[in-house]
Amino acid sequence: MEEKKPLLEVENLEVVYQTDEATIRAVNGISFSLNERETIGLVGETGAGKTTTALTLMRLLPERTGRVLGGKVLFRGENLLEKSANDMRHVRGAEISIIFQDPMTALNPALTVGDQVLESLQIHNTTGKSKEELNARVDELFNLVGIHAERKKEYPHQFSGGMKQRIVIAIALACAPQLLIADEPTTALDVTIQAQVLKLMENLKKELGTSMIMITHDLGVVAEICDKVAVMYAGEIVEAGTVEDIFNGKVHHPYTVGLFNAIPNLDEKTERLHPIDGLMPDPANLPVGCKFGPRCPHCTEECQQGMPYLYENNGHRILCNLLKKEVNNEELG
Amino acid sequence: MKNLVETVDLKKYFSVGHKRMLHAVDGINLEIPEGKTLGVVGESGCGKSTLGRVVMGLLPATSGEIHLDGQDIVASSKKEFKKIRKKVQMIFQDPYSSLDPRMSIYELIAEPLVMNKVYSSKQDVLNRVQELMETVGLAERFINSYPHELDGGRRQRIGVARALALNPKFIVCDEPVSALDVSIQAQILNLLMDMQRDLGLTYMFITHNLAVVKHISDVIMVMYLGQCVEIAPADELFAHPQHPYTQALLDAILKPVLGSGKERKLIQGEVTSPIDPPAGCRFAKRCEHCRPECMGRDIPLTDLGGGHKVACVLAEK
Repeated sequence: MEEKKPLLEVENLEVVYQTDEATIRAVNGISFSLNERETIGLVGETGAGKTTTALTLMRLLPERTGRVLGGKVLFRGENLLEKSANDMRHVRGAEISIIFQDPMTALNPALTVGDQVLESLQIHNTTGKSKEELNARVDELFNLVGIHAERKKEYPHQFSGGMKQRIVIAIALACAPQLLIADEPTTALDVTIQAQVLKLMENLKKELGTSMIMITHDLGVVAEICDKVAVMYAGEIVEAGTVEDIFNGKVHHPYTVGLFNAIPNLDEKTERLHPIDGLMPDPANLPVGCKFGPRCPHCTEECQQGMPYLYENNGHRILCNLLKKEVNNEELG
Repeated sequence: MKNLVETVDLKKYFSVGHKRMLHAVDGINLEIPEGKTLGVVGESGCGKSTLGRVVMGLLPATSGEIHLDGQDIVASSKKEFKKIRKKVQMIFQDPYSSLDPRMSIYELIAEPLVMNKVYSSKQDVLNRVQELMETVGLAERFINSYPHELDGGRRQRIGVARALALNPKFIVCDEPVSALDVSIQAQILNLLMDMQRDLGLTYMFITHNLAVVKHISDVIMVMYLGQCVEIAPADELFAHPQHPYTQALLDAILKPVLGSGKERKLIQGEVTSPIDPPAGCRFAKRCEHCRPECMGRDIPLTDLGGGHKVACVLAEK
């Protein structure tokens, strides 16, 4: 089989927010790659650094506080972090676009939805298409996301939450980007609408061949739509692999196990849930050694010193000392 | 077992101008036995939060009856109501906006005690606050902290402690875990269930999260545009959903299991307007089984036995 060339490679990315009081270490050396037509899920709780990662890829970090300390973001071989602001403007929206979490606030209430979709087409109109052609494209996009094109003269408040999110998706897709970053695209939506939106995104992946980064904390969404998963905790990827590795694999990071155990199971009657004890560490004051150590039931002295062991098996990577023992045991046995 | 809470044909309409009425809650009959949990599920805008507020007496009902521990709170005077009120409390959705940022944890938890003049000495109030903090699992060192210093899970514990302060019998939980991360969500759900076991509380649990509602409820009511379309014991509802809307709702759940990505029956269209809806099944426009009998008259709940009731033409036959 021919090796697929990665569309996006993130290497050792490190991002901090610098304030007067403290340095907040939001992303601490993460690496992942994404091939064409693939969807990767970034999973984790609030404060894990998922959104910071997305903003860094888009070069949209807050100017005053956000700093990229190191690492590379290679998009089709070019390092996005070295591009000039002007060059980046041509990438953003045209080649990489983002869907934000809350459709209620992502749209401009004073413009018609049609104009908002048209806006991005006009900005990235490099081939000099006529107005009619652009308008035809707007109609096409509305059809694609399942909204009647006649409604493009209406304003955002005339649409329901699910429809607004579909308009946001239409805007993101306007220029047929190669990479779509979706930051919790269904969290603000009801289950029935969520199913509609995910179905739409799945179809788009098939029809347009778009690669996607799906940021979510919902493991159900991941099982539904992703090919690869990266579980993030305190700015690190603690476990990464294919969806099969994460959902059906034999070995896991204790945090991944904790995440699965904390969700009520629909198929079994459980008396008590199993929350993960403790709290996410303060990103301004991260623990030494394994970041999950203070909440981990298997934490040992070794975990509190230095970086944990990186287990790797066929692309399934886990950052945990427990697996060192397991490998040793296997070697001994 | 006796019912702690009962409503009879409860209605709440909001005027939206031009003599038009928004039917937020439209003829709800419910019964919650003492010490049990009723889960209320539905999409945003179906009136589940309004129902919770009306049952609590935070919003006046348009018509109907609400019996709380044997007393009708719709018909009661202000003075009587104030007494009943202590028995009912609420836990709100967003622990970030439901706590006054300028009050310390002590002040927040003591507020209901002070307002109702439960204790005469300050020492008694302090003792009760400490006791409550212990009950909900808040360390004593937080007593002088402010909400912004705490994470979402601890803030929600303050919300729970406030609700417990007056020894209520009935607590309306309006999406108490929706704003929390999954690992924290599990802590709060465990806390609520422990308190029910230890203090014999009765809950009305409003949520749109079906996995959570199945976990915590004894009986689940599915609401659609202000009406109850199906009500059944939790396991029965998930095993044999009868109403097409319930079926669609359960079908749309994304399970964290691989290979469940079967073809889903997606409901087409959006929720119809709750403003002066015509008589008939309100789900009809989105329903694949829609037929002429569905329109023109209100569909009553059909009793299928075992506490399972459904409002659908298909079940009437």
